[in-house]
Amino acid sequence: MASATKQGAAMLRGFVRKTRFDTGLGAELPPAYRKFWKEWKEQQPAAVHYVPKEGMFERKEETGEVHPVQNVPLPLKSVDEENYGLWGGEAIIQGFTKKKLMSHRVPRFWVPTLKRSVVRSEILDEFFSVTVTERTIRLIFEYRGLDHYLLMSPACDLRSVLALKIKRRILQDIVKGIPAWQINPEKQKELMKEYRKYLDQYTAEEIDWYGLTWMEAINKRRNEINAENPTVPHKIIFRQKLIEQLREAGIKEVTGEMEDTKDTSWLKRLNPFAKKEF
Amino acid sequence: MLKTLIFSKSISSKFTQLLNVNNAALQQVRTTFVLKRLYPVELHKKNEKPRKLRGKHYNYVMVEDSNTKKQPDVEVVLKQFVSGIGRKGEVVKLRPNYAYNHLLLTGLADYVTPENVEKYKPKLGEDNEEENHSSQFAQRTVNMLQNRVFAIVMNKEQPWVVEPWHIRASLRKCGYYIKSDSSIELPNEKITGPDMMKQNKEFYVTVTINGLEKARVKCRIHHWSTDPSDRLPYVYEHWLQSAEPIIPEDTPRAE
Repeated sequence: MASATKQGAAMLRGFVRKTRFDTGLGAELPPAYRKFWKEWKEQQPAAVHYVPKEGMFERKEETGEVHPVQNVPLPLKSVDEENYGLWGGEAIIQGFTKKKLMSHRVPRFWVPTLKRSVVRSEILDEFFSVTVTERTIRLIFEYRGLDHYLLMSPACDLRSVLALKIKRRILQDIVKGIPAWQINPEKQKELMKEYRKYLDQYTAEEIDWYGLTWMEAINKRRNEINAENPTVPHKIIFRQKLIEQLREAGIKEVTGEMEDTKDTSWLKRLNPFAKKEF
Repeated sequence: MLKTLIFSKSISSKFTQLLNVNNAALQQVRTTFVLKRLYPVELHKKNEKPRKLRGKHYNYVMVEDSNTKKQPDVEVVLKQFVSGIGRKGEVVKLRPNYAYNHLLLTGLADYVTPENVEKYKPKLGEDNEEENHSSQFAQRTVNMLQNRVFAIVMNKEQPWVVEPWHIRASLRKCGYYIKSDSSIELPNEKITGPDMMKQNKEFYVTVTINGLEKARVKCRIHHWSTDPSDRLPYVYEHWLQSAEPIIPEDTPRAE
């Protein structure tokens, strides 16, 4: 039976839909990027907009029945605006409100309260003016600084591309030894001591691929492939083949003697200032 | 020496408090709207995907909107003396927005970690003489005294000479209590009255706070009579109007 299907024995565990990592250049992406993608898109983010139930089982008070506890998270909307700010894991929720049992449900969007504020990265020694929420500022306090907050939070909790970009820059700067503080070597050493522990979670390759969006990763891989085996125009390949064949045939002009011969182009011989010969 | 001793004691007590507190980073921070499903999702099988959500699963009920709640105070450690807040190395509790915008972003304070508390703790040999602050609130008092005009109410009939206790009484009427007359320094020239040429003219006295900070207080003479018919007419917001100095060289300082 299994041999009759197109997928062969793989079909035994049911039909497996192809993912973006199975086709095209996506299949060429390294496991380092796959790991980051998993952390960003597949890992379950922390509960921000709902209170998860604790424990394994719960008992219904009326009947005394025991049921397992299953937390199904509320679906979050992704909008482009969140990629240009630090919302601290908050997102837009689309749903309905229903005031009474028999009344109609009314559509409702719950949107985080945003404000523009400044955040400071100590490692980059930079201030960023970004849209944030109260929760972001609170988290920065709890983690004692933006750098610690970004480095300790997984990508699924940061959500926004901007946060991942800053995190990527911070990680790369730690690898380089914090070049922003080169003027003050004492401070540089202090910061290195404080932040070196975060490098244990990543290999050099993982940092290289961290914080890239899908298209950036694809373009990076494409550039790598192009650099490894560059496409040479056919005319160059054919010319080299021809020279090779001529050399094998033993023709003098090909074996380096060509360089000694005079340029035979008639343009070079043309001298408008020469005396007329006739 | 005594001052520094008391200071270091308060720091150490706060330091031990800090060590006892659990790591706040591990606690869940929820400062946003929290929702709940009106109809909970039906249970799914063990080790399987959750059921497909239906329309009714998108009916939500607001559990809590923590944006409308008052956020608790936060702690920061000061990197230097901040007037009205505290001294260097002190761990102070403040409103979160003020602490973030005015102290952390400006670099006056840092986040509270055991390393930072140790780092900004003033050394034993280091004396804060160059700072010259008796307390963190002294500068605030100086500013409040210097930004006001005090009316020195004097008798219109009986002869008088302005003495420190006159100043003390007038400041007390405005809510500023000076403990002793010795901390009030009058101008060298004696101011006598009653003299209607000196009505609503100003002079400066120097008030010393905690024996260290000096405030230059602007005072104006006002003549007052016990007989209501003899009293001077009421001037609306007289402190906003400019006045001439009693002592000619006592011109207002350019600040």
